[in-house]
Amino acid sequence: MDINRRDFLQIAMALGLIGTVGGGTNLFAGEAAKEKIKNLTFSDIVDFKAKGKATILHICDLHAHIKPLYWREPSTLISAKNLVGTPGFICGDSFMKHYNIKAGSLDQYFDTYNDFSELAKKFGKMGGIAHMKPIIDHVKKERGEKNVILLDSGDTWQGTAVALKTDGEAIVNAQNYLGVDVMVGHWEFTYGKERVMELIEKLDGKFISQNVLDNDPFSDTFEESVFEPYTIQEIGGAKIGIIGQSFPFTSTANPKRFTENWSFALRHESLQEHVDHLRKKEKVDCVVVLSHDGFSVDQELAKKVKGVDFILSGHTHDPSPEPIIVNDTVIIISGSHGKYIGRLDLDIKDKKVAGYNFKLIPVASNLIPADKAGEELIAKEYKPFDKELNEVLGTTKGLLYKRDTFYSTFDALIGQAIQEKMKSDIVFTPGYRWGTTVLPGGDILKDNVYEMTAITYPEVYTFDLKGQVIANLMEDIADNVFNANPLLQQGGDMSRLTGATYSIKIDAPSGKRISDFKIGGKPIDVKKTYRVSSWGGNLQSAGENLDKETPAVYEVVSDYIRKKKVIDIPLESNVKVLDYDCGCPAKGAKC
Amino acid sequence: MERRKFIQSMFAATAVAAIATPTTIFAEEAKKKTAKKGPNDMTFDEAVKAITEGKEVKDSDKIKLTVPEIAENGAVVPVKVEVDYPMTEKESVTAIHILNTANGNARCADVMLTPANDKAYFATRVKLSKTQEVVALVALSDGSFIKAGKSVKVTIGGCG
Repeated sequence: MDINRRDFLQIAMALGLIGTVGGGTNLFAGEAAKEKIKNLTFSDIVDFKAKGKATILHICDLHAHIKPLYWREPSTLISAKNLVGTPGFICGDSFMKHYNIKAGSLDQYFDTYNDFSELAKKFGKMGGIAHMKPIIDHVKKERGEKNVILLDSGDTWQGTAVALKTDGEAIVNAQNYLGVDVMVGHWEFTYGKERVMELIEKLDGKFISQNVLDNDPFSDTFEESVFEPYTIQEIGGAKIGIIGQSFPFTSTANPKRFTENWSFALRHESLQEHVDHLRKKEKVDCVVVLSHDGFSVDQELAKKVKGVDFILSGHTHDPSPEPIIVNDTVIIISGSHGKYIGRLDLDIKDKKVAGYNFKLIPVASNLIPADKAGEELIAKEYKPFDKELNEVLGTTKGLLYKRDTFYSTFDALIGQAIQEKMKSDIVFTPGYRWGTTVLPGGDILKDNVYEMTAITYPEVYTFDLKGQVIANLMEDIADNVFNANPLLQQGGDMSRLTGATYSIKIDAPSGKRISDFKIGGKPIDVKKTYRVSSWGGNLQSAGENLDKETPAVYEVVSDYIRKKKVIDIPLESNVKVLDYDCGCPAKGAKC
Repeated sequence: MERRKFIQSMFAATAVAAIATPTTIFAEEAKKKTAKKGPNDMTFDEAVKAITEGKEVKDSDKIKLTVPEIAENGAVVPVKVEVDYPMTEKESVTAIHILNTANGNARCADVMLTPANDKAYFATRVKLSKTQEVVALVALSDGSFIKAGKSVKVTIGGCG
């Protein structure tokens, strides 16, 4: 299979982009080099070795980023020993080694955190619908409009101010503009059941899911699928059966009130029934599962379910330049935040998949001429909020980023802001994998704060928790993140703590991972009552003496930045990992 | 509400523990036993003994036990039990017992069956205080017992 990454690498090498991985040196010294970067063109980006007649384009986890952004991949991505070093759990150097990525290349900039700030200056922002559209149009022109479908693995409607303030509508408009044909969901559900149904009405494409059941014993549809479980699309003369998998753990990851009486689970038995039905009764040529299960969960799912040709995965935000093959199922995942469009060409012969080719197309905004209609749509959607969102709250000395298993500078900033406002001993900030990146020396806009916090339940809760409960909670969360069984993970990172430090042994048994836990510099006292603030989770339900004041997290953070003017957050983590020596270990836990 | 109870019960189980040692917070907890709280409280082993009167119980793949891997809500965990066994006058399933391994009271449900039921099938919802195993203990007409168990994770979640 030809990935066509080689072309990029050749270009990168031709540009003389030679440097040591992780080194802080300027890889692009000299005006001549700058001149050459400009020579990397749109046709280099979309270059692809076509196969067969049908094409599936795949996007996932846009998180409502209709404008281009900076998005830095994780600097720490640690999991249980059996998973570390495998796709889904590699980053930085281990990622570059696994996919043979050359230093200084566009791939390094898109796929890893290495030299991010340096490369950002050269390659610019990523994603944005006005830059995704020309890629989609290009493929449709090349292959014929009717031979291409655009599938969206969800986490599309939530993640920015413009999404929150229009209850998701701005993003549905963007999907219709891009031409999304089929989607599934996760954060979509946090707009509530009724709004989800309204937005599906507005969506030109279909919303499918086989694993969301009506669970209200008094309803007529008890134990029946809430959405159409699958759809059949004809492209390039082939019948493609597409089955939907929404996020199986929506009801534990997000507040239950949004999806009351809807039951979420993996439901691999009913998935198998749909696969068999599509093959035997509907006589499809190819079975695709459009999924928001997460990359590692889908690798497990492929072991349990037979007869699936492709799983188009989402949720865990992994850019995976090459597909993963489990038994006879090919699994792809297309990054996050609009950074990539996955192109999957299918060669269907004798009612079977005879061949395919796949590439992650990087949406390198500076190298793609923006589509005018897209720019106009963005301007229209942002216009009512421009004044508020363009406010410069302050500047940051260092890099503000989100992705890391335990700690990030932007989360530390959020935690500091909450701790100062609520005077709490300890602050819990959720380990979501969406957000934004602000470069060193950059302005922090109100829009950036929303990019980190734009949820429909932004309340910061402050309450009492006993030390023992805090300790138990941390173990519970650690077990969700580091479980050796991907089916018992929930795809997020550790909750971030402010006001506390701890050590963690990832491979210790459940309930025994965390040690040396200190709050305010002193060892945790299990009998003591601590004042705790948290947002974006369920912790307040375990607390007592709940503060009446529950300010919105984006306002707390904005006020804090306005007051401080210059933000200076250290890069060192407050968490010590005892059984790994680096943030991006390779297979066998090697650093 | 159910989350609070879950946390409270976790706390009750460990409240007597002294300040945790720096190496592991749970070192003390392992030594403590859950204090009995109600008249019906019974450990898993006690409950099995009460049902079987000490007879041997074998694990069996004739029992199809369906539970979620992760509970959406610990207060209402759906449990389905199907037994692949004849339901005739000659031989039949006489009872399906559903038990848990870590609640205060291990017995969730006892269902008596006769051949007139035609199928040995029962579905219900049970309350689970924390991550533990759900066990289906099945009595057969020849006086023997079989069982099957599966773990259910009960979590406060917190990740998105």
